[in-house]
Amino acid sequence: MTTEDNSDLALLRLLQLVSPALPVGAYAYSQGMEQAIHLEWITNEAQTAEWIEGVLENGLARVDAPVLARLHAAWSAPDLDRVAYWNQFLYACRESAELQAEDRTLARALTRLLADLGVADAKPFATQEQSTFATLFALASVHWRIPVLQCVQGYLWSWVENQVAAAIKLVPLGQTAGQRILLRLGERIPQLAQQALTLDDDDIGQVMQGQVMASAWHEMQYSRLFRS
Amino acid sequence: MPHSDSTATVVSGWRAELALTLAPRHGRTVMTECRHLGPLRLQRPFYPEGQVPHLYLLHPPGGVVGGDELSIDVNVRSGAHALITTPAAGKFYRSGGPRAALMQRIALEADACLEWLPQETIVYDGARADALTRVDLAGNAQFIGWEMLCLGRPASNEVFLRGDLRQRFEIWREGEPIWLERARFDGGVPALQAAWGLRGHTLTATLVAVGRIDGLVEQVRTAVDIGADEAFSVTQLDDVLVCRYLGARAQRARDCLSQAWAVLRPALLNRAACAPRVWNT
Repeated sequence: MTTEDNSDLALLRLLQLVSPALPVGAYAYSQGMEQAIHLEWITNEAQTAEWIEGVLENGLARVDAPVLARLHAAWSAPDLDRVAYWNQFLYACRESAELQAEDRTLARALTRLLADLGVADAKPFATQEQSTFATLFALASVHWRIPVLQCVQGYLWSWVENQVAAAIKLVPLGQTAGQRILLRLGERIPQLAQQALTLDDDDIGQVMQGQVMASAWHEMQYSRLFRS
Repeated sequence: MPHSDSTATVVSGWRAELALTLAPRHGRTVMTECRHLGPLRLQRPFYPEGQVPHLYLLHPPGGVVGGDELSIDVNVRSGAHALITTPAAGKFYRSGGPRAALMQRIALEADACLEWLPQETIVYDGARADALTRVDLAGNAQFIGWEMLCLGRPASNEVFLRGDLRQRFEIWREGEPIWLERARFDGGVPALQAAWGLRGHTLTATLVAVGRIDGLVEQVRTAVDIGADEAFSVTQLDDVLVCRYLGARAQRARDCLSQAWAVLRPALLNRAACAPRVWNT
């Protein structure tokens, strides 16, 4: 195969990995947004976009994305001690019971899937209590030769798409409004992914008090569609 | 980066250190070592509840300015249990450029316990600082602690418009992180007002307790009374229970979080709450 063939295939593998059809159940989680809508913090398209953009820029881009890049490097090496360290680090950054459970559950689902698809390195994670989705996402990316920058861009994109899908159901918003938000936030991703690759270890981390308190209150929300 | 005071041309910057060791002696916990350099001090311990000392940590008079580097090391030996608080708010003043650093490192041996309940830290407009509270636990060591941060001085109409504070509050067990809170607050940014951020509140506080007991979250939720202009949440993670508070006044933050502490202390440490006397003054 030529290099071009390889990068074409890597792109298609990335599309497969970030597709909402990936059978891990990510669609069941709103990460505090359902509570924020219940509290009427989010009532329309503009507030939805502001919420998702804020969490993307401050949370995902400053916590998940730089750790994902480090996990990609660790799997590439391969350095399993580094994989274990960054996995534990990211898990320890999760701020609520539901956010922790979400990460654990998605990680387990992706572990099973990858193991069934013949990715042998996934197997040890089947018995691990605390693992993060990003750990397995990085493994899949390395296995399918998806370069680190595209891996981070894809992870951020799939998160945004999932949040927008939740907002369409919950706010609710029309499908076109959803596509407008995706267009707007898509424009942010290249720069945020690039920035994540240059962040120092000491600069990793951020807390979004409103989002994580909403996530904690969601545990008691009486009527709910989402698991976070 | 905190500046180094190794050159003779430095115009500002205190370097202050306090190293403290607590150990069990004759049925109670005592200070077996207390070394200090510069203007950090510890008052004579009080024993209002018998075995457990209440220790008052005195920050440098007048607060912390750019270039200052404060480091506090607390070692708690196996079998010891102590409570540390501060008699007044900590302050990060406006900086002309250099960053200030407050590094608090707490190490607990197995069977040790520490309660870390300082008063709030006030971040003046234009302050630039790094604050770390890192707790290292061995084995079954126990920890309950909080950090409270006031951004700007709302009572004096001083808004936090410039500068930044990076605050880390971390708990590690046997060298592995079990809870990491790494926050960055920049003056004047949308995050201070946003729904997902501080929502216009100028005071943010986090209480964390190592441990996990079924039903404890519900007990804490019931015990804490919240007013109209403040918010409180509690959640149970795998290894720690976390309470968060947003509001404006430090007194209210302490009232709410000490209501939570009054539930957590008997449940996790098997000891009734006994508020440090200095909180009432």
